[in-house]
Amino acid sequence: MADELYLENIDEFVTDQNRVVTYKWLSYTLGVHVNQAKQMLYDYVERKRKENSGAQLHVTYLVAGNLLQNGYVCHKVAVVREDKLEAMKSKLSTLASVHVYSIQKALLKDSSPLYSTDYDIVKSNLQHCSKFSAIHCAAAVPRTPPDAPRAPAQSQRGPDAASVVNGHGPPAARPPPQQQRGIMGMFAAKAAAKPQDTPKETKAEAKEAPGVSATSSKPSIKNSIMNNFFGKAAMNKLKANSVPEQLKEEKEVAKPSVAVAEPESSPNSVAEKPGKKAESARIQQKDKRSKTKRTDRSDDEEERDPENVKKKRKRIKQLQSDSSDEEADIPPSPTREEERAPSPPLVPALKTELEPASTEGSAAGRKRKRKRVLKSKMFIDEEEGCMVTEKVYESESCTDSEDEFPKPKAPAPNKQPVLPAKREPKEERKNLKKGAAPVNRANKQASIMGFFQKK
Amino acid sequence: MSHAMFSEQAAPTAQGLLAPPSAEPPTFPRVPVSGYSDCSQPFQLGERSFSRQYAHIYAVRLAGMRPGLERCARKQWGNDIALRKLSELQAGEKCCVVGTLFKAMQLQPSILQEISEEHNLVPQPPLPKYIQPSDELMLEDELQRIKLEGAIDVQKLVTGTIVAVYGSEQDDGRFLVEDHCFADLPPPLPWNGPSSDRFVLLASGLGLGSVSGEALLSTQLLVDVVTGQLGAEGEQSCAAHITRVILAGNLLSQNTQSRDTINKAKYLTKKTQAASVEAVKMLDEILLQLCTSVPVDVMPGEFDPTNYTLPQQPLHRCMLPLASTYTTLHLVTNPYQANLDGVRFLGTSGQNISDIFKYSSMDDYLEILEWTLRAGHISPTAPDTLGCYPFYKSDPFILTECPHVYFCGNAPHFQSKLLQGKEGQRVLLVTVPDFSATQTACLINLRDLTCQPITFSGFGADSEDRDIEVGH
Repeated sequence: MADELYLENIDEFVTDQNRVVTYKWLSYTLGVHVNQAKQMLYDYVERKRKENSGAQLHVTYLVAGNLLQNGYVCHKVAVVREDKLEAMKSKLSTLASVHVYSIQKALLKDSSPLYSTDYDIVKSNLQHCSKFSAIHCAAAVPRTPPDAPRAPAQSQRGPDAASVVNGHGPPAARPPPQQQRGIMGMFAAKAAAKPQDTPKETKAEAKEAPGVSATSSKPSIKNSIMNNFFGKAAMNKLKANSVPEQLKEEKEVAKPSVAVAEPESSPNSVAEKPGKKAESARIQQKDKRSKTKRTDRSDDEEERDPENVKKKRKRIKQLQSDSSDEEADIPPSPTREEERAPSPPLVPALKTELEPASTEGSAAGRKRKRKRVLKSKMFIDEEEGCMVTEKVYESESCTDSEDEFPKPKAPAPNKQPVLPAKREPKEERKNLKKGAAPVNRANKQASIMGFFQKK
Repeated sequence: MSHAMFSEQAAPTAQGLLAPPSAEPPTFPRVPVSGYSDCSQPFQLGERSFSRQYAHIYAVRLAGMRPGLERCARKQWGNDIALRKLSELQAGEKCCVVGTLFKAMQLQPSILQEISEEHNLVPQPPLPKYIQPSDELMLEDELQRIKLEGAIDVQKLVTGTIVAVYGSEQDDGRFLVEDHCFADLPPPLPWNGPSSDRFVLLASGLGLGSVSGEALLSTQLLVDVVTGQLGAEGEQSCAAHITRVILAGNLLSQNTQSRDTINKAKYLTKKTQAASVEAVKMLDEILLQLCTSVPVDVMPGEFDPTNYTLPQQPLHRCMLPLASTYTTLHLVTNPYQANLDGVRFLGTSGQNISDIFKYSSMDDYLEILEWTLRAGHISPTAPDTLGCYPFYKSDPFILTECPHVYFCGNAPHFQSKLLQGKEGQRVLLVTVPDFSATQTACLINLRDLTCQPITFSGFGADSEDRDIEVGH
């Protein structure tokens, strides 16, 4: 019978598993009201003792009632061992409640096992910790997820003057369109370069928001990858600015779009990788470009979206100064000019998106994904009538999930980045023509023969 | 004195659960809060600027309290007394002066003296009290100050109190006080309390993150009583009448404040977490259990992760991710003021009272609490010895209305007193004890402003009869 089942359960817990069975633990484990659990424990104790008076069973009780203490009538709630139960009851002037608290095989020295049992079971049931309680509160309603993070943003948007720290409130609506254009711009720039870009591009147009949300869903991973890439100083600024943005994007994107974004993660990652390199190269380029151009663009950006982009702008500028040394060996390629043309604000927006996108890709896919691998390629150069060997980044499917930063540095002297294919042959040819030999040698370690050749 | 609290109502069904399981155990609905409004706006700081001097707060304090004190003075010493400013004093003339007290204490810690090279002093260790028989009282108003002597208790009073003194200036330049008075109880608020039993649980000093696990079971028992898990049916149905829980500060233990990381070498402390991180996680879980069952107001205290100066701003909800998803969690300021079911609550986490304790001869927290109410100011020693925000427009610690419940947290013992004022004020003064030390919280019945302490205990190897004291 169902009634007797609990007796067997308790028996098993106490004697076989040698547990400390508190009423709360039993209530969660059997899924019953706390009062029923208390009664079950009592019932078990009574029956067990009736059938076997020498049963090794120790019980603790909860006693509550009035007690005169320090001149005040105090309501005392105490957990006592069975042997002290009567003594405690007699001390109380009025008894409010008494029930079984726990049953265990061994005699407890102190109440800490009781605490730890209760702590563990509550910890594993945090989501519905008042489910079996005797009091139900109608007002205790969890905030729905979109409301919870949105509430602070909205309240900040409202009283803008009164909002304290974040200026993120007002421009909350603006980042998504910015980044959408950013993603688009990035894809548009690489359309010629990669065949994957075009299908991605169309998809990206349709699903910019998901892309943003997918990327924004892993801010923590993004941070660690960005950390590697940009160094700690820039990192902190990025973190501060981009995480609130990420959170906002998360809110604004619907669920289904996130699901759709998933299959894109692998093509995204490839695009992100070239994008990343493009970014770094772009940074480099900016450094080398005239200051006026930069200020022009920053003016543009500020017109569009003063607050938000200015923030991004600041970040990028910092990055540029910080990372300019790091990226020194990534050469600017003339192709960069083309890519920069599309839309200036995309660049900073791009930055944050690329990083998370690539990490999202790498994080999401410990599976097959396309990666750029440095490979030696041999072809007959018709013009010159010679064979040419060159190192080229080629997209390759592999299961490696590590982003390899040394890679950009390796072909640096060769000036081989990703992109526009039509430019590549020209460049390569130029490079090879001009200084294939010294360039190739620059790749290798300086050999000891150099010492002798000077003569 | 009626103690129609838990025990009497619960007694009939006390042993009900010592029985085989019954079919349908009852579930009691939590009595909803009929009216709640947060009145802590004066204590909420928006944009903060610390570029101002603290002299302004004394100026607005004096300006704000002067009218009330002049009224009290006239009531006490006659309508025709002369009210003078210090600059208008004439020797020998009996008059009344309203000003701010300043107590010159030799032992008062002074950072300027400590770092002064000519004195070459070793920093003074913290003392429980800094009073000395040689302390002197001065009265300051907007322009001048004068030394006080006579019928005024130098040891008891503290700096920053606004007082009206009646007496005359002597030839040696001191003011001989014949009588003095304070602002007295503020005007009463109308009473809109509930007609049926409704309880508010006040607890403070949970002290999570401390090394000892003594109070942990008691904390769990507290949560279980409030959420209706513990106790027989009668007790649970009484607990369902607890409409609110107020946690008055020091949710974290002083141990979490250790700044060992500053003294140790970096390589030793690189991977260590601040002790408060673990403690805040524990706090989050406890608050989650409470919030699923009852509205909770959480006030920060001396050891909690918020700003140091009064008024302390609410804890940030990002620290409590699990609990802050519930609308029943309210993170509030210290001091905290609110209307609960028509009853006005005002209280602090205890820093104001403990600071006065250090600089006054008064020893009893309840006495100090009452004294602050009669002096018309929540924390007169701020900003002199207690950190405070440099207000300049108005002093939010001036009491303008008499609350119905006035409490302070983290007191050494539980004490309560119902104060009746001359103008019909009725205030319940409560000193909420430090839970980590006493395992005691307070239950206030809003219907009749009675208060009962509620104590929790487990059992240990040596704690058999330690906590049971037979009272008289």
